[in-house]
Amino acid sequence: MSLFQCQDLIYYYPDRKKPALNQINLQIEEGEFLLLIGGSGSGKSSLARVLAGLIPEFYGGRFGGQVYFQNRNLKEFKRRNLVQEIGIVFQDPEKQLVMAGVEAEVAFGLENLGLPPREMLRRVAEVMSFMDLEGVKQEFTAQLSGGLKQKLALASVLAMYPRVLILDEPTSQLDPVAAEAFFNLIKQLNEEIGLTIVLIEQRLERCFHLADRILLLEDGQIRYNGSPEKYSCWANARKIPLVPPVGNLLAQLGFSTVPLTIKKARQLLQANYNLREPSPLSTRYNPLPVVPVKANFKEGLTLKKVWFTYPRGKEALRDIDLQISTGELVAILGANGAGKTTLLKVAVGLLSPGRGQVLVPETERLDGRKKSKKNLGKRNGLLYSGIVAYLAQNPNDYLFHDTVEEELLFSLKNFQLEDQGRIEAVLNNLDLKKYRETNPRDLSSGERQRVALASLLVTQPRFLLLDEPTRGMDYGLKREMGRILTELVKQGLSVLVVTHDVEFAALYASRVIMMFDGQIISDGPVGEVLGQSFFYTTQIGKMCRGLVDGILTLPQALDRFESFHRKVKTGGEVG
Amino acid sequence: MWVSFQYQDNRRLLQHLHPVAALVYLGVLGGLTLVFAHPLYLLGLLVVILLAIQAVDGLKGWELCLKFTLGMSLLILLINLLVVRAGETVIWWGPRLPVLGELTISVEAICYAATMCVRLLDILSVFYLFNRMLHPDQVLRLFSRFAAQSALVLSLSTRMFPFLLREVHNLQEVLSIRGVDFRKGTGKERLQKYLSLFNLLLLNALENSLETAEAMQARAFASGPRSRYRKEVFRPRDFLCLTGSLLALFVTIYGQIYNYSTFHFYPQLGYLISNTMTLVVLGIILVLLSLPIIISWGWQHCPYFNARI
Repeated sequence: MSLFQCQDLIYYYPDRKKPALNQINLQIEEGEFLLLIGGSGSGKSSLARVLAGLIPEFYGGRFGGQVYFQNRNLKEFKRRNLVQEIGIVFQDPEKQLVMAGVEAEVAFGLENLGLPPREMLRRVAEVMSFMDLEGVKQEFTAQLSGGLKQKLALASVLAMYPRVLILDEPTSQLDPVAAEAFFNLIKQLNEEIGLTIVLIEQRLERCFHLADRILLLEDGQIRYNGSPEKYSCWANARKIPLVPPVGNLLAQLGFSTVPLTIKKARQLLQANYNLREPSPLSTRYNPLPVVPVKANFKEGLTLKKVWFTYPRGKEALRDIDLQISTGELVAILGANGAGKTTLLKVAVGLLSPGRGQVLVPETERLDGRKKSKKNLGKRNGLLYSGIVAYLAQNPNDYLFHDTVEEELLFSLKNFQLEDQGRIEAVLNNLDLKKYRETNPRDLSSGERQRVALASLLVTQPRFLLLDEPTRGMDYGLKREMGRILTELVKQGLSVLVVTHDVEFAALYASRVIMMFDGQIISDGPVGEVLGQSFFYTTQIGKMCRGLVDGILTLPQALDRFESFHRKVKTGGEVG
Repeated sequence: MWVSFQYQDNRRLLQHLHPVAALVYLGVLGGLTLVFAHPLYLLGLLVVILLAIQAVDGLKGWELCLKFTLGMSLLILLINLLVVRAGETVIWWGPRLPVLGELTISVEAICYAATMCVRLLDILSVFYLFNRMLHPDQVLRLFSRFAAQSALVLSLSTRMFPFLLREVHNLQEVLSIRGVDFRKGTGKERLQKYLSLFNLLLLNALENSLETAEAMQARAFASGPRSRYRKEVFRPRDFLCLTGSLLALFVTIYGQIYNYSTFHFYPQLGYLISNTMTLVVLGIILVLLSLPIIISWGWQHCPYFNARI
């Protein structure tokens, strides 16, 4: 008997002509770990909300077909009973926490269920202990880190003792370490407590190995429903980009079944390729050959001995020496709280350094007036110079006009610039021409991000700083963002990206900086920094470590392994 | 700056009192600062409040109350001197001003203004102590017994307020990046800049509120009658604090009725200590109000005491 059963499910959001879900037929078994994947707008979140009973009850719209839970139609369940069976954790922990304190947050759902105080006490104590939240029970939710907030959101759902846990991109706001810890917890819930898990995730390399089954949605329809081992080859044959890097590599190398863990993938490679002996330690840590960057530091952005301390006394930046030359794409990696965003804010002039200097070259600005270093050194001089642009994490913060064109005109007006074809050029560059008269808030998340970027690029800055530009993006959108940034760099712009996405950094950055506790601990070509890191490296980098050195990305790996093909051993594949 | 006004669990006894005992204690402290006009009583209360603030490790943040009061003192003094003519002991005769009349400075007006400054500091300090002593959720849980919906709305506001402040700050930064300088321009221009900020804030808040509402629905909000999570236990220490606070209130009423704790400033200053009962009543009130502080000290330093209360 299946736990969930969807029959001919079809759903339209209110006022939409295209169905968000179209003819979905699906069964989910008790205790299963289902990974739900798909591009933006493919219907993943809609399906999750249907399973959680939020569609159509909360959203309205037109709903067809049947959804059964334990052989009973979902419509027959009272909400109070349903939430005790099915719990859902959303993407942004900030927006799903309701109470001021941690303990009260965990108890919120239980109060809504009308449970007796003694039962609530027991459940709160049990869940907080299991989730290791005892130490922060008196804290304010607003003061918790992103990882702890998401953990708290999960705890408050678990306190209701659900049998099914639905997670809608729960780690999109977390750094890799916090995300890993979160997934370990989910794995524990699935394997040790037997919860049925439905997980939506974009960064497949983080969670692919956890899934029992993969469900790929496209345009509201199920495109793939089967085992994760077979998925990579299936997707590769159909040129579908939603594949974790290692799976993609092995599928492209011709393996019909792809292992899910790095360990097994390494075994597979070792068994099927006559790889060279692991090189000795000294040479293994040699810098990788990288294309030298055409550095021109004279025209670059320079941070000289910069220190920054927040009013509460937290030293966020310590002795930062950094130069970004023209035509560079630099990625900054590091855990949450390492000082990455503070560094960007200091570089753009939003924060004044306590000690040290931020220097930009003497340059002719867009309005023809020269801005000297001296001028820019004054308080906020750099900020209003228009030379350095900064795209913050939330693109919505940039969008409040009725049309995309007005949004761009607003930026031009503030910097007292004439249009002179700038808007046309930027819209063309970012493929936004067709949305010129559209309200930016009506666009998809990827398009919104491009409009926010356009509102900055229209003033033709020399340096572009971006904070987590790939957050919550699918593979396709990430590739598009990578293409845009590469194009901008070719046009002479310097780009500095703060990201948790190691795969993105490895593919598009020419240089990587790692930060820890307000300091730059590593700065160099992408291959050197990521190649030498144990944790902050790509999935392919992890797989190839010690076997074939100097590989981080899929093109590099394909290139190297194709040369090994001549030495292929006879023998079967490791499943 | 406002962080020092927020509750931080420093594992002090005063922070772990039963909310009823804590609220009564704070209420009595606040009430007495409004009832007393006697400078000695107000100063005595200030000492007790400061000791209580020290008992929750909050003296550092209290400096802000002091700075604010010092700033306001000048204003209070100026208004008193300009407006009040009731004092008889004039020490300076000034020029005649339009509307205000002849400017005089009397000893009574100075003393009254100084006492009001102490009262202001008392009141601010009690509010500060309230923030440091009580977790907002504790208070809300207490009130949810009488007004569940209002308590929840208040709790949501408490939760959202820091989020909203951060949002305003973020939006200001984003608009600055796009060339909006909030410090420049005429009044009308600046108003337009702030309208842009407000517009963004409203749009984001509307979108965010939908997500919060969805998360609340997913946790069974409004699915039927709610129950109340409570874990507070009424201990002997709560009984002692509550008794001390209530007794202090009764002694105050007694002192006020028999004029032991009253003081008049005009037309001439009264006696600071009119009879020994003034000191006796003051002493009793201060000892009773210091009970929670003494218990807190004992709780921290004496394991036996700790185990018994």
